Amino acid sequence: MGIQEQYRNEAAALLSSGEVKLVIGFGAGSTADRRRPLFARTPEQAQKFVLDAACIANLSTYLVAEGLLSDGKKVGVFLKPDGIRSVNILISEAQLKPEQVVILGYAIENGKEVTPLEGRNISDFSIGEKIRKLTPPPHVIEAAEKIEAMSPAERFEFWKEHFSKCIKCYACRQVCPMCYCRRCIVDVNQPQWVSTSSHTLGNFEWNLVRAFHLAGRCAACGACDRACPVNIPLRLVNYRMGKEVRSAFNYVAGENSDQKPVLASFKQDDPETFIL
Amino acid sequence: MTRILLRNKLDDCLAAWQKAGFSVLAPVKRHEMSTFGEVQKASDMALDLVLTERTIKDHFFPQTEPLIKYKIGKHQIDSETMTPPERKRVFFGVRPCDASGLAIDDPLFGWDYKDDYWFRRRDNSVIVTIACSQADDFCMCTSVKLSPDSSKGADVLLRPLSDGSGWQVEAVSDRGTALLETISSLLQESSAETAPLPQVAEKFDVEKVMEWLADPASFESQFWKDISLRCVGCGSCTFLCPTCHCFDIQDEGDTYQGIRRKNWDSCSFPLFTMHTSGNNPRNTQSTRWRQRIMHKFNYYRGKFGVNSCSGCGRCTRQCPVDMGITETLQAISNLPR
Repeated sequence: MGIQEQYRNEAAALLSSGEVKLVIGFGAGSTADRRRPLFARTPEQAQKFVLDAACIANLSTYLVAEGLLSDGKKVGVFLKPDGIRSVNILISEAQLKPEQVVILGYAIENGKEVTPLEGRNISDFSIGEKIRKLTPPPHVIEAAEKIEAMSPAERFEFWKEHFSKCIKCYACRQVCPMCYCRRCIVDVNQPQWVSTSSHTLGNFEWNLVRAFHLAGRCAACGACDRACPVNIPLRLVNYRMGKEVRSAFNYVAGENSDQKPVLASFKQDDPETFIL
Repeated sequence: MTRILLRNKLDDCLAAWQKAGFSVLAPVKRHEMSTFGEVQKASDMALDLVLTERTIKDHFFPQTEPLIKYKIGKHQIDSETMTPPERKRVFFGVRPCDASGLAIDDPLFGWDYKDDYWFRRRDNSVIVTIACSQADDFCMCTSVKLSPDSSKGADVLLRPLSDGSGWQVEAVSDRGTALLETISSLLQESSAETAPLPQVAEKFDVEKVMEWLADPASFESQFWKDISLRCVGCGSCTFLCPTCHCFDIQDEGDTYQGIRRKNWDSCSFPLFTMHTSGNNPRNTQSTRWRQRIMHKFNYYRGKFGVNSCSGCGRCTRQCPVDMGITETLQAISNLPR
């Protein structure tokens, strides 16, 4: 039995036993190579789940949808390691109760083969060292290094050109599991903190606010990058911020759910190299 | 015999238009994105795309538009209206769905008030549409009763020749006729055949959709909740749409001076309908998605006699969760009745 059949049956069993009220997984998309989020509430609907190497979206973002978990019931969700890291971050930030999430974990090897991950509760995933070693795809690192090698003026020009395309659709925010604020700073309009205009200043304001806000919180799933309709390489920004946090605090977001949020906690031996 | 424009005459064509005082905008690729941008020569153009990622709407209804500059002094208030320059422009290589989008929006911007910002740009622009020779999985012009060679919204329609050497030329408005006069020496008579149009299958029955939407019972249907469950509420479908036109007015600056701007807004955002009291009449994503569909295929038609969709398919093509209008309208077409 392949992993798809196995997980369909498992999701159906979870639903028919009443253990979970809903399973969030993937279904066939509008074209042969697309997959779309699918919400199953009955065992029959669970038979429509698809699980293959095209299932790359991070579905943990739906766990923080307003009201989803407020009834205390459990939800099942298909997650790759980056999704599991996201759940760890959400738990450590008190956005999720670990006992409410049943994880149907899977990994995609070499971009092709899909293998199951053992364990169903977040505590089953002892992913500390594995995560620490986890690196983004080589092309992301290569692109990030290229930008790091630029002079500050060149780098500014690079981002100015890319951010000038930003249409402020906020797709990057909406697909990000870490963007769960009920009211985002850019939506606060009395007073208007951040300009809604899509000019250079407004676009920089939005993209920099988001970059800072995700420092030490990004699970590096790349959802923002894939969602951007104007192809701004957003994951490079978050990659760089993650690298900063790793070198300053030896901290990798999402290693486990007991981590304290790095920028909301203090240790006596924290380096103070960045304080002028 | 019809007139044709050869591809290898394109540089001369551009030079003639520039000489006549036009800026020429065409599909271009920049920073890993395709859009309409100003071009100097034919090699700057990316004419072989199915569609540009951004629409030409951006050049008529910019994402951010300064309206007024203001300055408040002790005894005096100064304000200056900022209208766009009367710049003559040729849009070359517009796809029929994008040109139709402009035509669909014209009545909206000229309805109870003539929007100077839109019409200054519209009146000074000539739209040269190139009929499609390819389509992708997301194209759906035929479903909204348009076609890959529709001339709606165009001033000139070009049809690709089957050997790829150029285009058959047809003026479809007075403005188009005038534009062609500026390049009359570059056009030649020919009986060359045009390339076959791409097959764009009808994906939904728009009549059935409109009928269901018009039924008051549909408004509270569970359908809206089910179909929009996975919508993450970003505005990319609205911002990439050639017909979406909602905006917000914002003052940027301080109490003493600043700029009043018109910025795109989206019915996908909760803030769009938020009242100052804190009440939000469209407080769930399903009600916002319903609004988007209802607006395009019911309310707009009721007011202006046309649906507010030109079938470009960008809403689905670029949706991060593979939603979009097509799937919803397909599902409505297939509802039992």
